[in-house]
Amino acid sequence: MSAFAAVLRKDLRLELRGGNSTIALLAMSMLVLVVLVFALDAARLRSFDSAAGALWIAMIFSGVVGATRALSAERENGAIHGLLLSPLEAPSLYAAKTAAAFIFMAVAEAGAVVMMVLFFNLEFDASLVRLIPVLMLGALGFSALATLLSAATGHTRAGDMLLPILAVPMFVPALIAGVKASTAALAGAPLASMGEWLRIMVAFDVLFITAGYLLFEHVVGDD
Amino acid sequence: MNTAIRNWLGLVTLVLMVAALFMIFAYVPTEADQGIVQRIFYFHVPCAWVAFASFGMVAVAGMLYLWLGDQIWDDLGYASAESGMVFCTLTLVTGSLWARPIWGVWWSGDSRLTTTFILWLMYGGYLLLRASADDTPRVARFAAVVGIVAALDVPLVIVSVRLWRTIHPAVIVTRQGGHGLQDPSMIVTLLVAMAAMTALWAWLLMLRFAQLRTRTRLDTLATQLAFAHAATGDR
Repeated sequence: MSAFAAVLRKDLRLELRGGNSTIALLAMSMLVLVVLVFALDAARLRSFDSAAGALWIAMIFSGVVGATRALSAERENGAIHGLLLSPLEAPSLYAAKTAAAFIFMAVAEAGAVVMMVLFFNLEFDASLVRLIPVLMLGALGFSALATLLSAATGHTRAGDMLLPILAVPMFVPALIAGVKASTAALAGAPLASMGEWLRIMVAFDVLFITAGYLLFEHVVGDD
Repeated sequence: MNTAIRNWLGLVTLVLMVAALFMIFAYVPTEADQGIVQRIFYFHVPCAWVAFASFGMVAVAGMLYLWLGDQIWDDLGYASAESGMVFCTLTLVTGSLWARPIWGVWWSGDSRLTTTFILWLMYGGYLLLRASADDTPRVARFAAVVGIVAALDVPLVIVSVRLWRTIHPAVIVTRQGGHGLQDPSMIVTLLVAMAAMTALWAWLLMLRFAQLRTRTRLDTLATQLAFAHAATGDR
């Protein structure tokens, strides 16, 4: 647990002292939203469906950017060797990396929600509060999946191109559930009415956190 | 010995495949509602079954590789993923050919179609991962992890996509229970086609597996030779 806290603290401190993962994630989210506003002509479409869809597209693309950066920082100068030589279990390293990716994604999501409300002419009201658990579950699932996969794809010749190719199809269950639940939340439905979708997202998160926890040592072994 | 088994299996595949083709085109009656197009069902369903079985084998081989560390399991996983990909592609193609006259579209957002396509994408990614790196034990471990994670994801994909939407006919187990095959000869034909496709898959898998085993053996020999040369100072 203390190893987990130490690695997480290190990553957050790096980020606060001029690391720019969060900035990159925010910029990516904003770019995706802007492109979609022009592509969909949001002023005419102004629907909860397209707003929720745009939000999740922004989340996936910024999440991919974040996940490719998470371990590449450790690979520079072989810092990962130091981490692996230290008395640190691979599962703790995985948990810390996932937690850091989740925090960066959550910050970027908050910014993306504000931009979505502005670009799609929605209201700042209680429906945004109901969006929080949905987005958090989605960001957690994506961080868990992408952190595991980025450790595997980082060494290959195709490298960072492979991460979205592997991660996005696997993220589909959470994506479908997330978009449906987000649309419902934006339309003002109570959380209880989306139980089915939330259950799928919880199952996805539990599954991939467990899988990552057990399998991470096999992919991060000898960088 | 393996070669003998493989050759016999090839012969069995040939016989079963000819029998299945004969039954599909000459023996089984034409389905009342859909007409002649329905006959593609006897290839479509076996292809889907074989593809799913093959992808399941990728995950099992991946677990065994991570557990035991023997290269033989990685070779098996690689061969399963490749043959599964062939049959998954065939499932999508035959389904699309059927959907055009029956649904009026080549492609729809139907749940089983979407699920199969997502599987196709996931294992396409698996094969890209293997293709984009040299065959080292490290890449074998990555592939094993991806194969396991993909298989874990499949139940969730099925549940979520089904909740999303479906228009696919339920034939083997209908929504009312029971099955949708009216004539007993249809069941016999489907079973023979299943056996034929399974034999074809097993044969292709064995061929590819044997080839990968040979490559592993050659790699080992090359390494040993290099060591031998280095030891004697001979370049």
